[in-house]
Formats: sequence, C-alpha cells, structure tokens
Amino acid sequence: MEYHPLPQPDEIPVREREDAMGAYFMMFATAALGLPLPIINMIAAIIYYFVNKSKGRFVQFHTLQSLYSQIPVTLLNIGLVVWVITNLVKEYDFTEVFWGYLVMTAVANLIYLIFSVVGAVKARKGLFYYFLFFGKLSYAQVYRVRVGDGEQQRENKPPKM
Amino acid sequence: MMRTSIIRDLVILLVIFGFIWGIISLFPVFPEKVELVSIEREQELGETYLEAILKNSDFEEVTSEEMTNAVEAIGLRLENALEGSEYDYRYLVVDDKMINAFTLPGGNIIVTTGLIEFCGSPEELAGVMAHEMGHVEMRHVVSRLVKELGIAILTSGDQFVMGEVTRIITSTGFDRKQEQSADLFACELLEDAGIEPRTLATFFRKLRDDQDNELLEKFEIVSTHPNFTHRIREVLEYVPDENFEEIPMEIEWEEVKGQLPEGRVSK
Ligand SMILES: [Zn+2]
Repeated sequence: MEYHPLPQPDEIPVREREDAMGAYFMMFATAALGLPLPIINMIAAIIYYFVNKSKGRFVQFHTLQSLYSQIPVTLLNIGLVVWVITNLVKEYDFTEVFWGYLVMTAVANLIYLIFSVVGAVKARKGLFYYFLFFGKLSYAQVYRVRVGDGEQQRENKPPKM
Repeated sequence: MMRTSIIRDLVILLVIFGFIWGIISLFPVFPEKVELVSIEREQELGETYLEAILKNSDFEEVTSEEMTNAVEAIGLRLENALEGSEYDYRYLVVDDKMINAFTLPGGNIIVTTGLIEFCGSPEELAGVMAHEMGHVEMRHVVSRLVKELGIAILTSGDQFVMGEVTRIITSTGFDRKQEQSADLFACELLEDAGIEPRTLATFFRKLRDDQDNELLEKFEIVSTHPNFTHRIREVLEYVPDENFEEIPMEIEWEEVKGQLPEGRVSK
C-alpha cells in the first residue's frame, strides 16, 4: 500500500491549519449543543466534513479524525439518553450495568474532549496528531494513494499496443 | 500492516472501555444494600420490631381465637402453596378500626380487625395477605427500610430508630412498581392455593368505590398510588390455568366477623 508524502509544518498554509483546528472545536461545540439529542451534532459534523474535505489532505485528515472519533462518543451518548428515558418511563431500576455504562460514557466523553483539544492545538501548529485507532484510520483513508488520484491521472502513457 | 495496526488499536479501545463498563457492573459503586441484610438477620429484626410495635403503639393483639385461627388458616393455605420460601411467616390480628395490613421484616404480617370487617370473604383477606407475602418474598420491606434509614441504623436497636421504623412500617407505602409486582405475586400465589385470583380485583373495586373512607388512610395497598382502575385491569388480565379448581375456604366468615370487638360488628 502506498501513501502520499506528509506535508511538513512549514508547508501548510495558516488558512489550512485554522480549518483543521476548527474541525475539533466545531465538533465538540455542537456535541455540547446536541446533548439532549446527540444526533444533531452528528449531522453538523458530517456537513462540516464534506464542506472542508476539498481543502487539502491536511484539513481532511484532521476533520475526518474528529468526525470518526465523535461517532462512538455520540452513539454512547444516544444510548445513555435512551436508557435513562426508558428507565424513567417504564420505571425500571437503574442497575449496576447502567451505572457501569454511565461511567464508561463519561470517561469516553472526557477522553474525547481532551484529545480534541490537543488535536486542535497541534493542527494549529501544522502538526499531525494521531488518536488511537481513529488517527490511523483517518490517515489510511486520506493519504492512501488510490487509483485515479490526481497525480496518476496526469501521467502520460504510451498507447497500449 | 496498516490494517493490522488499526485493528489492534480498535481492540485496545474496546478492551479499555469494556473493562470500565464491566468493572463497575460487577463491583457496584452503589451496592444493592438490601443484599447486605441476610434473611436470618431480617427475621431477628422482625422479632424486635414486632415487640416494639406492640409495646409502643396502640395496637393490641386480638384475643378471639376464632379470629386468629381464621387468619392463621388463610396464612397456612397460602404458605403451603408457596414454594421454597425462606421465611417463617407469622400472622397477627390487632384491634384497630383502621382498615390496614402491614408487613414487618422477616415475614410478620399484621392485619387489623378493621380489615377483617371490610373483607367480604376469607378469600378477599387471602388476597391482601398474598399481596403482603409478595412484599416479603421480594424483600420490599427491608429495602424500603434500608432506603429510608440506611443500613447501619437498621442493625441497631435504638429507640428513636424504632420510632421511625414503626412509622414507616405502619404508614408509608411501597412504590408503584413494587405494588405491581406484589399484585402479580398475589395472583400466582392465590391460584396455587386454590383461590380465585380475581377475588383481588373484586377487593380492589371495593377499595376504589370507597376511596374517601377515612379508615383507609393508612392502608399500604391504597396509600401510594391508588390507581385502582389500572390495577383491577391487571389483576383481571391474570388468567388462571384451565385446570384451575377453586378450593373453598372452610371458614365461617360471618362468625369470624361476629368476634369483632363490641360496637364494631360488620354492617
Ligand atoms: Zn403493597
């Protein structure tokens, strides 16, 4: 598998750094807004991704990493909201399994928040920063050389005999 | 190679979070405190409370043997149908015009003469008692005490604690969910004991029609959520097995009622 070379910090224009940083801030800003209905911030995040996707690989990487890492956190939050409402409506008990889930979700949100802040700071400096799992996933998706990528299309080849 | 690395990361994440969830679920931060009171301990507590309640309240045990025997007989019928109970049940009739039945820890069930008077048949009383036994078997009684007074208080025999215990036991109810499960328990137990479970519905209907009766004020079945229409429906929805056969109670109910203390003979 081939990957595109990574740009070095001095090669990344300020404009791109800011857009990359914005991805993290934008996502947890909407995450807070979307707390009662966590699906809202997912939609906002996806829109943000598609709007910024074309601004170069550096921006795309950070945006994608932020988007990907937000998905499981959002799912956990949705699960929590649904669980609490179900318990209240049906008067079920809040079991140990529920408390375990609550703590796990809280930890996930906290870690997501911390990593997003670090990610934003690094992005502003024109640096890459890889989250566990999501970093590699985003890198692989954004930087892998695909057939049909611009560079290859512009390559001149002799006619097929 | 990239793919293996990504999968390894994913596994690490899943393990970390699964571990957090699992560890809290298995070693609860908020333990189910009722578990900490063993059945033996509950029985001991029940004894103490019973003594205290009889001593400190206006309740007086009824002397009429006919009446205590009748209640005892109903209790026994239910107990025989109860499989694998860890409790030694004990039934007491106290002289009180309030329509009431309450349950102390350890399976001590107290019914008032007022309740006996209110019940149109021994089967109706059996319904109430089966409901109370549900609270015992599902440990609602202890959990309510633990919830309100805390575990430490429950194990000490302090006088003020006793006062609180008495108040809780004789006047406050259970929550709606506990009531529901006690109703269901009662239906099943009644069926197993050869008593038509839907007698309970009849009884609830009587309670509903008489909701303003002051004498009902402290009745735990009524106290918290007097949503009788719903409860009547739930009981009626309980359909006994097709082989179910009613075994009549050999109790002369009118005679039992005749033993009520003077001036309070059934209408
Ligand atoms: Zn009850």
